[in-house]
Amino acid sequence: MTEPILQIPEGWEGRAPEGWEWATLWTAVEEGDHTYTHERVEQAIEVGIDPRIILDDGLFPGFNLQGDRFSEQIIFIPEMLITARAMKAGLALIRPLLAAAAEKPLGTFVMGTVLGDMHDIGQSIVTIMLENAGFNVINLGTDVHPDKFIETAVAEQADLVGFSALLSTTVYYQKVTIEEFEKAGHRDKVHILIGGAPTSQEWADECGADGWGKDAMEAVKLARRLVAEQRATWDQASN
Amino acid sequence: MKELLPRDRIIRALRHEPLDRVPLLYRMKHEAKEKLARIYGIEDAATGRKHNPELELRLGNDAIIYQIGINADFSHRHIEIGETWYNHFGVGYGKSGLAGRTPEEEVVFAKTQEFWGPAKVVPENFPSSHPITSKEALDNYTWPDPNDRAILDPIQDLCDRYQDDYFIIVDLSSTLIEAAYAHIVGTQNFFLMMFDQPELINGVLDGLAEYYAALGRNAIKMGVDMIRVGDDVGAQQAMMISPDQWRELAKPRFDYMFKEFRKENPDIFIKLHSCGDYSPILGDQVELGVDLSGLMQPTGGNKDQAGLKKKYGEDITLIGGFDVQRLLPRGQVEEVRNGVLEVMKNLATGGGYIFSPSHYILADVPVQNIYTMLEAQRDFGTYGKYPLN
Repeated sequence: MTEPILQIPEGWEGRAPEGWEWATLWTAVEEGDHTYTHERVEQAIEVGIDPRIILDDGLFPGFNLQGDRFSEQIIFIPEMLITARAMKAGLALIRPLLAAAAEKPLGTFVMGTVLGDMHDIGQSIVTIMLENAGFNVINLGTDVHPDKFIETAVAEQADLVGFSALLSTTVYYQKVTIEEFEKAGHRDKVHILIGGAPTSQEWADECGADGWGKDAMEAVKLARRLVAEQRATWDQASN
Repeated sequence: MKELLPRDRIIRALRHEPLDRVPLLYRMKHEAKEKLARIYGIEDAATGRKHNPELELRLGNDAIIYQIGINADFSHRHIEIGETWYNHFGVGYGKSGLAGRTPEEEVVFAKTQEFWGPAKVVPENFPSSHPITSKEALDNYTWPDPNDRAILDPIQDLCDRYQDDYFIIVDLSSTLIEAAYAHIVGTQNFFLMMFDQPELINGVLDGLAEYYAALGRNAIKMGVDMIRVGDDVGAQQAMMISPDQWRELAKPRFDYMFKEFRKENPDIFIKLHSCGDYSPILGDQVELGVDLSGLMQPTGGNKDQAGLKKKYGEDITLIGGFDVQRLLPRGQVEEVRNGVLEVMKNLATGGGYIFSPSHYILADVPVQNIYTMLEAQRDFGTYGKYPLN
């Protein structure tokens, strides 16, 4: 096990006004202090720091550190959740600015627990992590019919779709839902990720998914990687 | 060795004494039980609080588990689509949508049926509304009555009917952390309130500990052999909360409850169960004097069964460890058989082990895999024979 350390963004001083420091914000996100995170991001906006830079230099270091610690089982769900809440407090302020600057989200991710399965602890955490990492996530909740996944993916022109399942009796719906995407002619337009307790890389291969996330941070890393990969576009589809 | 009575087999395993064969204890969800019950001509395949143990005993179980905790009823009862059903804690439960499926859903469902063969896939009921989400709600909350005869009387009946031969376990799950997050408070609320409103979390956990201490004592008065507390704090790869948080929130309260139980019977056996990986707190369980602990999903987290047995096997009896996530539902007959052999080699050597699948047998398990598992349990679980010579 390697102890994760804070990755300080190289050259951050050059991207901030003189005398500015981010260290207190890195710590606030790490420790889940959402009140201070809100305040500090507000100050950063006031002094005119670019929202993209606030995100990359100010918010991500603490968030990524906790995500890596979560993967290494140094911290657990409660700490990850309060860090996510702090992150969310900062993002709420800068998201409208990013949108106004025509900055697009990293990608659109449609998430849900498959038909017949009501478990949502895991997929809720993955959703929060993805949102914080810059994805636009549409979470359809639990017990989601394949058609609902497809409708939403079409309407949102999704880049990625994720299915969660906790039970051995419901993992099969991951396969069914992927088949339904194929039948609807949309399989090549989305990357499909699966996760959940009884799942594995072997199952992901067997059911035709593009990836399997062992834990929430792995899912985020996978999504970041996959979204950059080539696939058929929704625009072509509608022609 | 002469064949032991089922109850003696369990007791000897708990005391790490020599025994004829590895004891057996498994549970089935009602869909799986119905499949087998049909084969054996047993009409009453009820699970949960109305549990009829006849089928499990016929198929070799050495003990009877009777559930009286917060989750005894909801997953075993019929809830209509759109209906919210409230239990005696005031927790509301709903159902996922399959039972009222549309024609399109019917097509999907049929495909599943095709895949699983005769398995009937029925969706789970699930907690949908939580009674305590504020300090005010906690202050106004009335905990259920631990002297409720409707809950307690069937225990006496079970003891009267079965205890001469079988080991009687009363199950208080979900008991503490899980009861709080999954049922009383709500999961995300619980984890955030650990930081924002610790006094509320402590109040809920205190209420649960008091209620279950009293309920457990009442069960022990009726002469049951073991109290099982079930408290899911393990996820597939890791614990949900940190071992230290568990030591702060759960350990002292379990300590209190177990001391209360021992006031009724100093020799009462205690089992502490959690799903998922909770190997980091097995040593704490030993400290609490827990007699029996599950080694759960062998597919995630700490997979080193032999290592855990070596480290804790002298101090605690272990149960479980046979994979229900992939092997039992989807393995070929030979794989299931080898899986049982593997578990026996890892965990049964030297005694102090009860064979069990790592969780309930669910609807998707083929009948032949259940038979294969039970047959292999006899073949590989006899002391003095391979692999336990």
